Amino acid sequence: MKTKLFAAAVAAAAAFAGSAFAQDKPVVKLGYQLPLTGNTAQYGQDFRTAAEIALARFNSAGKPFKVEIVFEDSRSDAKEGVAIARKFVDDKAIVGVLGDFTSGVSMASAQVYKEAGMPQLSQTASHPDYAKISPWQFRNITTQAQEGPYNADWMKARGYKKVAIIAEQTDWGQTVVSNFADEFKKAGGQVVFSEFFNRGLADFRPLIAKIAREKPDAIYTGFFYEDAAQFLKQMKQLGVTIPVHSTSAAYNQQLIQLAGADAEGMHLTATFLPSNPDPKVQDFVTAWKAKSNGVDPGQFPAQAFDAVNIMLAAVERASPNPTREKVRDELAKTKAFPGVTGETTFGPDREPAKKLAKTVVRNGQFVAVEN
Amino acid sequence: MSDRFRARLIAIGFLALVFVAAPAALTAFGKSYYWQVADLALIFALLAGSMHLVTGVAGLLQLGHAAFYGVGAYAAALLATKAGLSLAFTLPLAGLSAATIAVLVALPTMRLVSIYFAVATLAIGQMLYLIMLNWVEVTKGPNGIMLFSGMKFAGLDLSRPLPTYLVVAATVCVSLFVLHRLSHSYYGNALRALREDDQCADAMGVDTVRLKIEAFGVSGFFAGVAGALWAHTAGFISPPDFSFQTSILILAMVVVGGLGSLPGAVLGAFILILLPEALRPFGDFRNIAVGVVLFASILFVPKGLIGEVSALDFARRQLAGAWRRDGAGAEIGWR
Amino acid sequence: MDFYLQQLAIGLSVGMTYALIAIGFTLIFGVLNVVNFAHGEVYTIGAFAGLLVVTTFAPPLLAVLLAVLAVGAFVGVGLERLAFRPFRRFSDEASLKSRAMRESTLMSSLALSIIAREALEIAFGSRFQSVPVAAMINQPIALGPVTITNGDLIILGVAALMLIGLQYVLRHTQVGLSIRAVSNNPLGAKYVGVDVDRTIVWTFAVGSMLGAVAGVLVGFYYGAIFANMGFTPGVKAFVAMVMGGLSSIPGAVVCALLLGVCESLSTAFVSSVWSDMVAYGFLIVTLIFFPRGIFGGARERV
Repeated sequence: MKTKLFAAAVAAAAAFAGSAFAQDKPVVKLGYQLPLTGNTAQYGQDFRTAAEIALARFNSAGKPFKVEIVFEDSRSDAKEGVAIARKFVDDKAIVGVLGDFTSGVSMASAQVYKEAGMPQLSQTASHPDYAKISPWQFRNITTQAQEGPYNADWMKARGYKKVAIIAEQTDWGQTVVSNFADEFKKAGGQVVFSEFFNRGLADFRPLIAKIAREKPDAIYTGFFYEDAAQFLKQMKQLGVTIPVHSTSAAYNQQLIQLAGADAEGMHLTATFLPSNPDPKVQDFVTAWKAKSNGVDPGQFPAQAFDAVNIMLAAVERASPNPTREKVRDELAKTKAFPGVTGETTFGPDREPAKKLAKTVVRNGQFVAVEN
Repeated sequence: MSDRFRARLIAIGFLALVFVAAPAALTAFGKSYYWQVADLALIFALLAGSMHLVTGVAGLLQLGHAAFYGVGAYAAALLATKAGLSLAFTLPLAGLSAATIAVLVALPTMRLVSIYFAVATLAIGQMLYLIMLNWVEVTKGPNGIMLFSGMKFAGLDLSRPLPTYLVVAATVCVSLFVLHRLSHSYYGNALRALREDDQCADAMGVDTVRLKIEAFGVSGFFAGVAGALWAHTAGFISPPDFSFQTSILILAMVVVGGLGSLPGAVLGAFILILLPEALRPFGDFRNIAVGVVLFASILFVPKGLIGEVSALDFARRQLAGAWRRDGAGAEIGWR
Repeated sequence: MDFYLQQLAIGLSVGMTYALIAIGFTLIFGVLNVVNFAHGEVYTIGAFAGLLVVTTFAPPLLAVLLAVLAVGAFVGVGLERLAFRPFRRFSDEASLKSRAMRESTLMSSLALSIIAREALEIAFGSRFQSVPVAAMINQPIALGPVTITNGDLIILGVAALMLIGLQYVLRHTQVGLSIRAVSNNPLGAKYVGVDVDRTIVWTFAVGSMLGAVAGVLVGFYYGAIFANMGFTPGVKAFVAMVMGGLSSIPGAVVCALLLGVCESLSTAFVSSVWSDMVAYGFLIVTLIFFPRGIFGGARERV
């Protein structure tokens, strides 16, 4: 009897010691599907770096459990994305998924997550119907429904009456044009030119010449930083000096590196400013710079960083023993989450509301401006 | 063992593999990921098989096959969302629309030969892609089309992996059987004749232009069927699924397996779909590995994994092709 | 009117960039009668090589071009050795120009181009590389109502030099003579003592040199150097080559210019998303009504 009690005590002590010292905390897994190869790999690689920063922070903060992120490469190809989605759904340890980058792949994968009941949080999916697919889809990017009118009012306030709009021919570009144009017309402005271009267009000059013919007061643009750099350089080539406004998608230090002096004077909105003195932001910027040769992070990595943190916070609230349902419910409860891209609150439609900042490129830097 | 018996055995063996062994194994694993990859491999087997008819048998290098795949997918998606048709109707209708487009496209271009034809199909493929991307009113352009699930087919709930697999597998097997009969018949021989020497075939009384158009239409039909299968299994389609890269991928499948050989095309499709998935642990290097495998297979197995000659020999002896004599003096021919 | 003149000027400069690529592409096609899918990657490698030279040594443009020529020659010889030589198993005419050889080299060059592109992506990432401002050749020059850039003039100069140089090499040197002989009739060339293998290596070296130079010039012109940059220009060069009659280099150049102008002018009338449609539509019309290409038929193969 005595020996039995002793044995039990030893076992209990060993179990205690094991959990306290041997680091065998329970492991919670998350999936992250993103393009790590192919044409859009540059974005996916950035997301991975940002996610690794967020994850390292979380795991070193002495939480009662450990989180692992499984990264899978989708090449921005829907058929690979769907296969990855199935793979994540199969892994019972995975309680939440982040990604994908392009809306097309996010939407195709979302069909799987909807059916299997897996919370999916995309840092960038901008398709107007994405969050409407099912209660399992969330996104952490300001939609153009918010950013378009904001930009329209800003440009109106700057005194522009005639505006030309161009945007890339993607689902996102479509929303850029429609949301901006509706509000700008409502505010009494005039849209003199509106056109799309195929993403990755090498030569914007025919388009620029066409815009210049309409003599608008300003150009509102929906493109990512690489197309933005091409557009700005070629405007300079043609000697066209119409002010350019853009969305947060073009907000990236790479834009200034690629376009150099030609980016001067471009106005854009952003939810993330690396120069923001907020310690959270500075902390992220320092960690990012250490991992990427001292370059400032852009909008998208910050977006991904926040998405991972929002997911981790939801997992933490759902623990112990988080399940997919619990994580979803906790994600939905996300309120005023303090991230580097500002506070995030998920509304009942699972769309975020964020605070936008106005910036301009001045002396090779993004500078916050009032107007 | 008589030829006929052996043929039956082979056919039964294959069907047992696809409909009994594979589903049993997949059910045993219980991973929907494997189901998804199996569906995808079958869909691409059908795509490769349909390209085999034009590129392998008729010898017309096709660089725009993904466009017909896309036409089928869009037709199915539009019919399902706008007209509310079920898979039983969208499947043939998608095939028919793709075939119609293929025939319309083929009418003016079929007189072109060799590389000129290849470039024409490239241009047509790109044009159809641009239409899918930019004709926003109909195709919803870059927004793609979402098919709301709850797909039912003959009482089977297609949101579950097993029924989905069975429908895909049945459609693909029937289609492949039709393609097999087409390419191993006098019809297929006429196509081979015009591949080897179209002037000679013409002189022998084969209507080459008409034959090419028909082959192109049939190939388009099955590509369209594959598109419908993809639209219904994925639930969401958008133009990038049907870009030039996809055409090249299908071409690579046909070449790796062996030009002119239907089993080769199917095998090539399995390899090029399964390989990138199997190589996932290699991360960023997996696509280089795919390139290396492609290169090595062309270099070391120049006739393809199952070359045309051995495939024809096999099909004719074992699978009731056109040449088997039923006893002395029996008419040889189309069966 | 000024608007159309400006669009015309833009179109010509775009067409010139297509022409640069089309020259090397057509040379290789003319000799072997095979499509070299890896030409776009040679173009990309040329651009990356030029960028590396510029960022490490910052030499004048001419020196960069010479370095890139060397890289191009090296890549071309390597490409021929890896993707084309192994498939010339027999040296009779039938197999030199056979369908099997054409299809297998088509796929082998495609496989190599996948490998090269993925390797570049792993080494450099797939983002746009930033090109030093000093190396860019896009200083605007106003010419009356239209604006062009110094890059346009440089590209025009180089393209002209390439064409003239190539014609000189083809007409007045031993190598050129053997290239023309092989392109005309490989078996005949072999019978009269031309070393066919060596000639093909030469062709690849020269064609890839031209491709690599095109890559670096266009890369510096647009300031856009990235792993996948070769794809679209490759397709356009392919189109120009076919329109020009497959094996006529001057024809390909003229058609490349025509293509550029059509794309640019079409944007004046329809949305720019449809401008590619114009190029492809043009191609189909050419194929149907001029099945041997606009400049094909009467000309020599090279």
